[in-house]
Amino acid sequence: MARIIGGIGTSHVPTIAMAYDRGKQDDPDWKPLFKGYEPVAKWLAEKKPDVLFVCFNDHATTFFFDHYPTFALGVSAEYPIADEGTGVRKIPPLKGHAALSRHIARSLVADEFDISVFQDLPLDHGVHSPLTMMWPTSPDWPGAVIPLVVNVVQQPLPKPKRCFALGKAIRRAIESYPEDLKVAMVGTGGLSHQMIGERAGFNDEKWDREFLDLIERDPERLAGMTVEEFMQKGGNEGAEVIMWLIMRGALAPHAKKLHQNYYLPMTTAMAVALFE
Amino acid sequence: MSKYVFDLERSAKGLRLNRFLNGLSKAEQRKRFLENPGEAMKGLTDEEQAMVLRLDWKALQDYGASFFCLEKLARTKGVSNPEMVAAFRGETLEQFLRTRRVPGAR
Repeated sequence: MARIIGGIGTSHVPTIAMAYDRGKQDDPDWKPLFKGYEPVAKWLAEKKPDVLFVCFNDHATTFFFDHYPTFALGVSAEYPIADEGTGVRKIPPLKGHAALSRHIARSLVADEFDISVFQDLPLDHGVHSPLTMMWPTSPDWPGAVIPLVVNVVQQPLPKPKRCFALGKAIRRAIESYPEDLKVAMVGTGGLSHQMIGERAGFNDEKWDREFLDLIERDPERLAGMTVEEFMQKGGNEGAEVIMWLIMRGALAPHAKKLHQNYYLPMTTAMAVALFE
Repeated sequence: MSKYVFDLERSAKGLRLNRFLNGLSKAEQRKRFLENPGEAMKGLTDEEQAMVLRLDWKALQDYGASFFCLEKLARTKGVSNPEMVAAFRGETLEQFLRTRRVPGAR
């Protein structure tokens, strides 16, 4: 039987990928970020999950507003890296796990989560900017990725409560898959930031730290908040942390946080947290 | 709540412009735009073309451009996100960077 061995919450800021690609690991401006991912990379190297189930959003790269899905699950065996305006990152295409993702799609719909599914589409930094911080790319990725694309870009967004419930349904789906597979959940986004309007550049470290506490201890309380409250507290774009609730919903209720790192250098608070 | 929340009304208003900006995620479109912007922007109104040519981030945003579509234009023209954010705030990049904890992290 497949099982969920733990979860990771992480920012997916595009500059994380830029810093990685430019080899800024020892640059004093970036070192605190890279250091913060080391325990997560170590955990993944030791636990060797077969699959990372990654909840992230597309940034109007692959999906466009002529048809913007609320929840879309990737079900193919491979996903190309998307070009976001500067060419394609020099990393291998992402490997999928078609059989498990098809099973999850069927299980979710049977469970009344009417997701859409996609195949073959290129994936943007929402998934691979955090991935290169914790998984080696050479000679190839050590495992497969199942991408879940969530609309946190065009209102109306799914309710936080729905995200949390979807996480629980994903747990039921994974645990009903007959093959012995180790799966780690990844929820991406945040923390506080706002990119638009007069409040562009907004952050709130106090709220971010409260969020990092509640996501471990009392995720139900976060799930009970509205999207508008998340936007107010963490900035318009910061509301994307509702995707951490999908990850957290799929973990055991008593899951413990083993590690966290917080770094706020520029416009977005960059956090990573590990749960088991 | 910010008036810039990207809802279905803004999405409808900005659809044509956002479709053009989204197209810049393709290398051949970027090349076309950089070599012959007028030709590449044929489907846009004069007002839309003028805002794009001026890289007037604030005007584009006010008009209905999605931030994530604007990022494609910014990358095509070699403009960073802090520069765009500074423009939205009505500041120069230098002024904006003075408000940041690690101004070199960009």
